[in-house]
Amino acid sequence: MTKRPLRILTAVPICDGHDSAINTINLELVRAGVEVIYLGYHRSARDIVRAALQEDVAAIGISSYNGGHVEFFREVRDLLEERDATAIGLFGGGGGTITAADAAQMTRQGVDRIFFAGTPLDEIVSFVLAYGKRRGVRHRTAKSPRGTFPTDRTIARTLSELGPLPRRLASQPRTVGIAGPGGAGKTTLIDELVRRFLATHPESRIAILSHDPSILGKGALLGDRATMIYSQDDRVFMRSLATHGTAGGVAAETGRCLEILRGLPFDLVVVETVGIGQESVPFAPGAMDCSVLVMSPDYGARLQLQKIVMLDVADVVVVNKGDLAGARTAVSEVEHRLRAAGGQQRVIATVAKAHRDTGVDELLHAVLGTRADTV
Amino acid sequence: MGTLGHVILAWRAHDANVEAEVQRARTDGDAGGAWLERWLAIRAAIPRGHTPTGLDLPRLALPELDEPGAIARYLLGQGLPGEFPFVNGIHSEMYLQAADGKPGRRLEEPTRLFAGLGLADDTNARFRYLTQHQSSVRLSTAFDGPTLYGLDSDAEAVFGKIGEGGVAIDTVEDMERLYAGFDLTDPACSVSMTINGPAPILLAMYVAAAKRRWGDACAMSLRGTVQADVLKEVQAQNEVIFPLDASLRFLGDMVEHCVRALPRWYPISISGYHIAEAGATPVQQAAYTLSNGFAYVELFAARGLDVNAFAPRLSFFLDCGLDIEYLALARACRRIWAIGMRDVFRADERGQRMRLHTQTSGRSLVAQSFKNNLTRTAIELLLAYANTTNSCHSNSADEPFTTPGEEYVKLAANAQAILLEESGLFRHMMNAIAGSPGMEAVQKAVERGILDEFHTLDELGGVLTAVEHRYQRSQIQESAHRYERQIGAGERPIVGLNRYRDESERLPDVEMMRTSRATKLKQVARVKAFKKRNRVAAIRALDSLSRVVESGGNVCEELLDTVEVCSLGQITTRLHDLVGHFRPLV
Repeated sequence: MTKRPLRILTAVPICDGHDSAINTINLELVRAGVEVIYLGYHRSARDIVRAALQEDVAAIGISSYNGGHVEFFREVRDLLEERDATAIGLFGGGGGTITAADAAQMTRQGVDRIFFAGTPLDEIVSFVLAYGKRRGVRHRTAKSPRGTFPTDRTIARTLSELGPLPRRLASQPRTVGIAGPGGAGKTTLIDELVRRFLATHPESRIAILSHDPSILGKGALLGDRATMIYSQDDRVFMRSLATHGTAGGVAAETGRCLEILRGLPFDLVVVETVGIGQESVPFAPGAMDCSVLVMSPDYGARLQLQKIVMLDVADVVVVNKGDLAGARTAVSEVEHRLRAAGGQQRVIATVAKAHRDTGVDELLHAVLGTRADTV
Repeated sequence: MGTLGHVILAWRAHDANVEAEVQRARTDGDAGGAWLERWLAIRAAIPRGHTPTGLDLPRLALPELDEPGAIARYLLGQGLPGEFPFVNGIHSEMYLQAADGKPGRRLEEPTRLFAGLGLADDTNARFRYLTQHQSSVRLSTAFDGPTLYGLDSDAEAVFGKIGEGGVAIDTVEDMERLYAGFDLTDPACSVSMTINGPAPILLAMYVAAAKRRWGDACAMSLRGTVQADVLKEVQAQNEVIFPLDASLRFLGDMVEHCVRALPRWYPISISGYHIAEAGATPVQQAAYTLSNGFAYVELFAARGLDVNAFAPRLSFFLDCGLDIEYLALARACRRIWAIGMRDVFRADERGQRMRLHTQTSGRSLVAQSFKNNLTRTAIELLLAYANTTNSCHSNSADEPFTTPGEEYVKLAANAQAILLEESGLFRHMMNAIAGSPGMEAVQKAVERGILDEFHTLDELGGVLTAVEHRYQRSQIQESAHRYERQIGAGERPIVGLNRYRDESERLPDVEMMRTSRATKLKQVARVKAFKKRNRVAAIRALDSLSRVVESGGNVCEELLDTVEVCSLGQITTRLHDLVGHFRPLV
């Protein structure tokens, strides 16, 4: 079995949009075989630590160019300590904005390394790769007290080790699978669903399994978190998976991960596939409570619809980007295609990028099965 | 074909027209005679001056031409300074000393210095220091991270960022403190604010602060700029806070309001600087900036605004680095802008002029042997003024580490004075070092590069569609990556870094500008007190703002009232509820 690639989380601190350096470093790390979970810019220490725990990374890399780095790194380190996760490494840089004196202070406060301006990229990459060798010296995973919700760290470790399976719950979370071609807007749509779900279910918790493609034995840039702004929340557990060459839209371990999450007291579990092709059927029949195919209106000629296999098995079909020219035609062509094949599935038009889109409201009801239709 | 396609056609047509005129000047005796006559008249009208060493020189140097075709190509192709297509500048004379030869003080210095640190009081003190020897007051303001993202200083998780890298502004009262002691209504005073996502709110605070001091009528005389360029934020700088559609609506509201009520205000500074700093090549910088400019013109025109009312209020902001493109980058940009505005948008002559602020490249500066940055900045300044920029900011040598300290700020300002006042290069002649064959060759190559990018953007469906497909972002990121690899491989020489490196050098020990914990706490207390004091009035003001947003009214106008009783963060929170958050593109 191939060794699991090294996983690293990278981010830019709150109130800082300088992402040029981190983008370059992300690319270099991916080339070196690392799975980089990129959280994006303007991120709080809390968001960073939550993501690091959920993604079970070996280290966090922070690129800070807007000042306040001494406080910010300390906040990250304190939060890691608070969550018994000091085994997670912490490194960073900020060009010349982090001085030698700052760096010395930050190192004393538990930062592994600060890179100065002019450090060769290769030096940064070899430093990060060394975290891979440090693995195995993790702290013991603290067991959650009985009756409480398991911590992010416990869930994350269970997912990494693919077990043990929790005991099945009496009421299982509703599982929703969301598939569709690349660029159809799946990520944005899920984030909008999450925003609505959190607002309308103030006690509920969500788990998300998000996939990005990668080649076996190679690195990957897992960047969904950067655009999923509403999903960075204490009530959302998110895990980014690379496919490692597995075809079909999900990863080899996805089934097992799903089983684990289904045994936990989440209310909703969402699986997002990579961008899928016409022939893909990423979810086995019955594997999901609701499977959704998200399409964009620009699928090409009408004939192309005949070839999309998932149209026949999806429970709900979404035509996103309803603001594009041709969206209405697309909806009716898709409906025609479904009915011609004897399908009765719902077709919902959405504009995921719009704030308060009513199509997304309708989709939430459809995936939760709360109402057959919306007013 | 979209707007950019039409700009490409106009650019080609313009070149074809010039060549047709050249042929006519050569073959048609009457036309040729007219060109010769005009040339002689221009030559005769050029004023002359004396240098301190007694040399007699024309204030504008013309090429030695006596052939009508070449004269036509010169006058139509690049134009005299102040004439279409403004290659040699948008005014007939800039930077020059008085005609009597006395050094004299220029009415307005082109020098701009950017400042912002700590709280409003601290930045106010810095402004006083910077302007003590200037005849005109040019206050260029940098805001701290929380302000740039529309957050209050007491917001969750931002404490460490208060007053770092810029000034913390939460309320109209902070704005009053920031510019206290300056006469904002003085014609020689202009204030620029580097703010984008929350620009309409900060502008409203500025106007409200001025009205508190000078009364309602002062709006007519307030002069300055807000950056407010949300397209470049989405492409490069990442400080946009509302979704793009909403951001563009608020921007349109602000431009409309400025055209109507703040006639001397520049409501947008279309900026390539941050695009270049994020890693774009010079041609990408120019192409994305100009195309963003045309996209704004199209948007504002689509709102029903008269192009001749708003186009003269647009201004540009470009980076100037050490790559050879910068020898003629701004010249190329002015030409394309003028042609596009005249021939595609039918703007009058004022709207064809590309008003340009330049800043020397921050990215070209390095921490290693950092005093070399003085030389880098000096060369960049020379390039910027050779491109007849309307104003310029020179970076401080210590900028790779910190908000500049006073010593290096002064050196940066002096570099401009040495170039413009001490050296003879710019004070005797408009074009002493402009117009070399090399400069023209670079200009042509840059223009072709820009037009190629326009073509790609047009094929992608225009600027806004390309943005949604993150085209500009990925191009910029790719260039940034290439740049870093070139440095690593030594293909891009950087003295002190990959050439002539001083291995014994310790990291520089420079004065650090930091904001103390006590100062940060003071700002938190201030904004909390403001909110407590206005808590009842704020509810009403925010509800009124909501109604304007939802009914499609002019948000900027309403904000003038909202800011009286609401903090920045209260306003952005309400606007986020109504229009959502910007979803980052990666």
